[in-house]
Amino acid sequence: MQLKMFVLSGAALTLWLTPLVVLDKKVTWHKAIQGLSLGGAIACAISAGNIARRLAEENEIETIKTRAITADVVDEIATSAYISQAQRQQEAEQLLNPVEHLERSLALTCEDEGELTPFSAASLLKSDAERSENDKAERALQLKAKGWGKAKIILEVWGVSKGGSPKYKAAEAEYKRLVEGDVV
Amino acid sequence: MRAAYLANYFIAGCAASSLLGWIASTSPMAAKAIAFLAAATFILWGLCWLLDFSVSGWLKISVQNLQAFLLAVLAMGIIGAGVFLCS
Repeated sequence: MQLKMFVLSGAALTLWLTPLVVLDKKVTWHKAIQGLSLGGAIACAISAGNIARRLAEENEIETIKTRAITADVVDEIATSAYISQAQRQQEAEQLLNPVEHLERSLALTCEDEGELTPFSAASLLKSDAERSENDKAERALQLKAKGWGKAKIILEVWGVSKGGSPKYKAAEAEYKRLVEGDVV
Repeated sequence: MRAAYLANYFIAGCAASSLLGWIASTSPMAAKAIAFLAAATFILWGLCWLLDFSVSGWLKISVQNLQAFLLAVLAMGIIGAGVFLCS
C-alpha cells in the first residue's frame, strides 16, 4: 500500500512538471499532451492522498488500541497488587491479634444483648476455634500442595517437632483429621 | 502519513492551478473565463481571510486550521500558475 502511494506521488509530480518543461506549447499535439498529463497528475495525486489518509487513520487506530491494551494491563496489575496487599494485611491482622478480635466480638455481643450469656460466649469460642482450625487446615493443605512432608508441615503449622511426645501425637492426629480426612 | 497525504493534496492543488492556466491558454474566451474565476476566487479568499472568526465558526473548524488552509490554497495557486507561466 505504501509502495503504491509513493509510486502515485512520483507519477503525479512527473506528470505535472515534465510535460510543461519538456514539451512546446506552440505545437498542437504537445499542448494536448500537456493537458492530458496535468489531468493525470491531479488524479494520481488525489489517489495517493486518499491512500495516505487511509493509512494514517489505520495507524491512529492501532495506536489507540495499543494504548488501551497497555492501560488494561496496568489496571489489572494494580488491582491484583491491591487485592493481594489487602489480603496479606488481613491475614497478618488475624494472625497477630486473635485476642483483640475475640474481645471485640465479645464486646459487640455485650452491646447487643446487654450481658454476655453462656450460650453466646460458648458459640463465640467455638467459632473462634473453628476459624483457627480452618486456618490450620488451609495452611497445611497449601504446604502439602507445595510438596512439603508431614513432619515439616506439623512443625510449621502446629510448632511441634517430630518425636513421641503427646503434643506431637495430638498434632499428628489433627493433621490426619484435617488434611487426610481420617477420624482418629 | 499525515504529512504524506497533505503533501499529495497540495501537489494535486498545484497541478489543478497549472491545468487552469493551460485551459486559459487554449483560447481567449477560456482565458477570460479563467480570469473571472481567478478574480472571484481571490475575492472570496480575501473575505475568508478578513472574516476568519465568522467563517471558522460556520465551518466548525479552528481559526488556525482555516488560516492554514487559506495559505495553502494561496501557495498552491501561486506555485501552479508560476510553474505553468515559467515553463
